[in-house]
Amino acid sequence: MFESFQHLATGFGIATTIQNLLYCLIGAIVGTLVGVLPGLGPIAGIALLIPATFGLNPTSAIIMLAGIYYGAMYGGSTTSILLNVPGETASVITCIDGYQMAQKGRAGPALAMCAIGSFIAGSIGIFGLVFLAPPLAEAALAFGPPEYFSLMVFAFIVLSNVTGTSLVKSLMMAVIGLIIGTIGLDPVTGDARFTFGSIPLLSGIEFVAVAIGLFGIGEVLTNVNQPLEMLEQKVLIPRLRELYPSFQDLKRSIGAILRGAGIGFGVGLVPGPAPVIATYASYMTERKISKHPEEFGKGAIEGVAGPESANNSACQSAFIPLFVLGIPFAPPTAILLGALLIHGVSPGPLMISNHPQLFWGVIASMYIGNFILLILNLPFVPLFANILRIPKKILLPLVILFCITGMFTVNNSVFDIWIMLLFGGLGFLMRKWAFEGAPLLLALVLGPKLEVAFRQSLMISHGNFGVFINRPISMAFLIGMLLFLILPIFWKLFKKTEKGGGGSSKQ
Amino acid sequence: MIFLFGAITALLSLKMPIGTFRMAGTGMFPLCLGILLMILSGIFVLNIFSKGKKNRVKKGSSIESSSPIQSVLFLVTMVLITLLFNPLGYPLSAFLLMAVLLRVLGAKKWTTTLPLSFVTAAICYFLFVQWLKIPLPKGWIGL
Repeated sequence: MFESFQHLATGFGIATTIQNLLYCLIGAIVGTLVGVLPGLGPIAGIALLIPATFGLNPTSAIIMLAGIYYGAMYGGSTTSILLNVPGETASVITCIDGYQMAQKGRAGPALAMCAIGSFIAGSIGIFGLVFLAPPLAEAALAFGPPEYFSLMVFAFIVLSNVTGTSLVKSLMMAVIGLIIGTIGLDPVTGDARFTFGSIPLLSGIEFVAVAIGLFGIGEVLTNVNQPLEMLEQKVLIPRLRELYPSFQDLKRSIGAILRGAGIGFGVGLVPGPAPVIATYASYMTERKISKHPEEFGKGAIEGVAGPESANNSACQSAFIPLFVLGIPFAPPTAILLGALLIHGVSPGPLMISNHPQLFWGVIASMYIGNFILLILNLPFVPLFANILRIPKKILLPLVILFCITGMFTVNNSVFDIWIMLLFGGLGFLMRKWAFEGAPLLLALVLGPKLEVAFRQSLMISHGNFGVFINRPISMAFLIGMLLFLILPIFWKLFKKTEKGGGGSSKQ
Repeated sequence: MIFLFGAITALLSLKMPIGTFRMAGTGMFPLCLGILLMILSGIFVLNIFSKGKKNRVKKGSSIESSSPIQSVLFLVTMVLITLLFNPLGYPLSAFLLMAVLLRVLGAKKWTTTLPLSFVTAAICYFLFVQWLKIPLPKGWIGL
């Protein structure tokens, strides 16, 4: 434990250099903007900023990109509370009580509790990360190709189970992502696959193009169909002196913040859209244990403080599987994995020992970033809220322009813009037909790793599939996967029989 | 359509060396994925049929609830600008993209659209080309 503190102190030394502080600040501001602006989520935000990090060292680059991720969680709450429009999906639940508080003239305390709760939970999440990551990394050294394969399959199944409306639809998206990931050179033999003689396709499909297409262009194309007046309504902007919560507000919120931090941290370690699940779980918990459950939905401050704390904590703990196993469990961390690979850093159990500066520097920067966000979000909330006054008909073309510019700068290639547009159109259709983009993106990023693990496992076992069951860790992941597949079916059957039983007793 | 995508993947994979499970060839993994996708899309279709006509009608109506004309116009504009990106150059492409998209979104007066597009393109040009030194296409205007 003492060693972790020593490393963290070194990390603070790295994170507090003028250069890294500046990138942390830029990341936090851009993240808050991304969170505030509907139509641009953290995934597209991070993907768009990756080209801007090409000239930086890996530590500064990841400090900035990580700042966008957790900054978006702070910013997302602003639109939820002031406009009843979530800036990103993790803020949907904040709309319920946050907007009600704003309607009662208590937007200030709601925004302040979001910022304070996010800061406390973010800090708790970081300390969890500091103490859990090193021992987990040591344990992960025991992982071989079969364990990695089973873990990745487990991640796909869990993610597919918790995203979207149908498991089959999400699994289809994951398989399509894996197929797209096979385009380019075979990672084992180096032979070309599905390139049809195209030279740009030899290096595979650029994941940044897919991310910006699905989550940036796709979102804009969906937005242009909605009534433009939606965002041009009157924004309730609180004054600075109205922002400070009363002692009563703090007293009511502190329990919710701590519980939210705990829930968020746990959820972040499991595959899936952690911040979204964490906010729902926290809201349900708060409503269940509250002495005044009737206030929920009518402006209960616990209904704002708990979920906002949970999404920030989940954000921090989501870095554990990324850094320790090299396997992202959610799309934003999948984009960060791509960014790490672009900068020549391969995360995994050896990352802490091979790249200690990056690991501890990024962790320390998260703490600093959370503090910056607390400072930014309290006094500058009116300023960020004013951004919402930019008419949507100006904002949407601007996002498109940034997407095209950002995409070109990745490889200075118009081909990447074509790929982005293709996935933009696909993203639009997927939204229309309720297909989830998250499993596709995660599968695309993890596809080559999954294939290598699959082929190496079979090579080790001389073609025997028993290798995935004979090794205890691998078997544990496969059992977990089966449970995730089977339990919902049993639950449905149980509910059906219960309903049927209830119905017959009534008769 | 998804079934077809799976089938094409599987067929194309068969043209590559498949190998054995012990020493998998280039085509083995995509072949497995293609077959898996075909199976999943089969399950999906069966699910739709088993849910019955009622749900299908309900789902169909939600898809047709909003007209995608503006989205299509947005996408067509982006395609045209991408085609002309290299010959026109970045500043002119950015200007045209903004102007057309603003019109698509309902900006009626050219007196507002043109200056707004010009200012946006100019800011982006100075930000990306002059300040960040990103090599964006110069096009025939040479900027």
